[in-house]
Amino acid sequence: MAARNTPLVLDFCGMKLSNPLVLLSGCVGFGEEYTRIKGFSNKDVGAICLKGTTLNARLGNNPHRVTETNMGMLNAIGLQNPGAVTVVKDYLPLLDFSETRFIANVSGSTIDEYEEVTRIFDDSPIDAIEINISCPNVKEGGVQFGNFPEMSAKVVEACRRATNKPLITKLSPNQTDIAENARCCIEAGSDAFAVINTVTGMSIDIKKRIPVLGNNLGGLSGPAIKPIALLKVHQVYQACKDKNIPIIGQGGITTVDDALEFIIAGATAIGIGTALFYEPLLCKDLADGLTTFLKENNLSHVSELTGTLRLNE
Amino acid sequence: MSQTSRNTINLEDAKVVEHKCYSDQQYVLRLYAPLTAKEAMPGNFIHLQCDHSIPMRRPMSIMRAEPDKGFIDILYKVHGEGTELLSKKCQGDRLNLLGPIGVPFKSTGYRKLPLLLGGGVGIPPMVFLAEHIKNNHKNCKPLLIAGSEISFPFQVTPSKIMVDGLPDGVIASMPLMEDWGIPSRLTSKQGYTGCYDGFVTDLAKIWLDTLDPERLQQVEIFSCGPTIMLEAVAKLAHKYHLPCQVSLEEYMACAVGGCAGCTVMVNTESGQAMKRVCVDGPVFEAGTVFPQ
Ligand SMILES: Cc1cc2nc3c(=O)[nH]c(=O)nc-3n(C[C@H](O)[C@H](O)[C@H](O)COP(=O)(O)O)c2cc1C
Ligand code: FES
Repeated sequence: MAARNTPLVLDFCGMKLSNPLVLLSGCVGFGEEYTRIKGFSNKDVGAICLKGTTLNARLGNNPHRVTETNMGMLNAIGLQNPGAVTVVKDYLPLLDFSETRFIANVSGSTIDEYEEVTRIFDDSPIDAIEINISCPNVKEGGVQFGNFPEMSAKVVEACRRATNKPLITKLSPNQTDIAENARCCIEAGSDAFAVINTVTGMSIDIKKRIPVLGNNLGGLSGPAIKPIALLKVHQVYQACKDKNIPIIGQGGITTVDDALEFIIAGATAIGIGTALFYEPLLCKDLADGLTTFLKENNLSHVSELTGTLRLNE
Repeated sequence: MSQTSRNTINLEDAKVVEHKCYSDQQYVLRLYAPLTAKEAMPGNFIHLQCDHSIPMRRPMSIMRAEPDKGFIDILYKVHGEGTELLSKKCQGDRLNLLGPIGVPFKSTGYRKLPLLLGGGVGIPPMVFLAEHIKNNHKNCKPLLIAGSEISFPFQVTPSKIMVDGLPDGVIASMPLMEDWGIPSRLTSKQGYTGCYDGFVTDLAKIWLDTLDPERLQQVEIFSCGPTIMLEAVAKLAHKYHLPCQVSLEEYMACAVGGCAGCTVMVNTESGQAMKRVCVDGPVFEAGTVFPQ
């Protein structure tokens, strides 16, 4: 357990995180992009998830790829990435691993591809691997694997064969029983979960009568999905709590109170994606806010809050 | 990207200095944003929060920057909830922005006849570029042609500056350009007095056809406007073998290169690639985004 004077430092699957904040996949490119902003530092967060990566390079979807919605946004990027080998060879060397922990985000259209990409990252300085079986924006794979527990388990199993690094499975909210899926993934060797990925949705241009997004449908993120995400974290936590499997809670977190809700529901770490687009420097404030809350409530460490939710009778 | 890109974009709470309304819900907003004003170059944009109730930001081209006074000007048209709320902002109100963002126009002064073509809300970067050329490349003689299908967001005035080879009666101009001694001409299909009845590219072609081969070699095109116009501009540049840079627009989420939400297909030496309008652009070589 962390020392008294570092109430936010935590152990996540053997990785030491300077605080529970994790920048989410797809929102911060390959880890360096936000450092363009003065005052932003990768040191201010516990970990950073890199953009979803496949075996071969992908150009991604046609425009528009993002559009604003009420209290959120839709995206359909389509996993644009330069391919795993290029990421390892050309992008990872640009990262300063002394600043934070970096997590790869692995995707594929076949189980073999997931395994192969995981193996490529296994042989790299990356700190952990997130398995994205919940991307709604590609025609094959992604969410196809995520919506059926047996399929999810097969993907996790394959990735497990390819690495001993921490494996975080990113679960889709677009399925019947997320807790059952989590149980299957734990059996298959998942060390942790990211809950949730985006919720599928659509926006329509009423003048042209076509979907706004080039991909027609997309993934909804931001405050609009927070209540959905909270319930899913609570449900997945039921499958995790006795097994010491941590969760990165995510989906619409923009304030300290949001973060606290997720922690109380069962999250060990807190993912920040869309909120960065709103307030690029919010992580510092979130960390300060968490520290203040702990102090005010006589808690010595953030982990004392995790999963402390008491359901109404 | 490398770590050399670090710390290049400011996040600042800008203050509304002046907010002027023009016809057809067009506004010119002057902000006190000293950090951005100091570093802004033509082609750069800001990522602006229009109101606290709408947290997603809007990219807006910078029309002018006064580094000494700390001002930047932007021009926008109300076309949604965000810009509607923005239009209500008054002197003294604070607006959070990121800026300056993007790869600016490369204006070297090497070719002496810069031709600036702006359409609609694509006019602002052309104004900024015209001012930049006036201040930095004194031996260049720019010509600005601006088109709009709604009324122009300034008081249209007859030009006192002659431009050889243009049709009689095409004398409508932008007052700011007149003040700077830069010839400007306006086009529209709406029959506005003094404007050329046609597209920006139509008038540009008329002018280019009057140039002798030697002068034609001195022309370089810079453009910003709707995609359909930029396509026509790229075609024109190709036809006359002129270098041409265009500034593109796309929906954006982060505006700092993180989300890949704003990409366009670009032809590169190593084949087709998706480039981000926010940080790889917004300015691109016309031929790479509109292959001829
Ligand atoms: C523009 C964008 C791109 C994304 N790309 C990915 C991705 O490549 N892989 C992935 O696992 N999740 C991706 N996501 C999902 C986020 O990582 C995150 O799970 C989701 O947005 C919910 O968190 P938020 O509401 O804080 O954004 C993306 C989200 C956005 C907004
Ligand atoms: S808007 Fe996010 S990469 Fe350009």
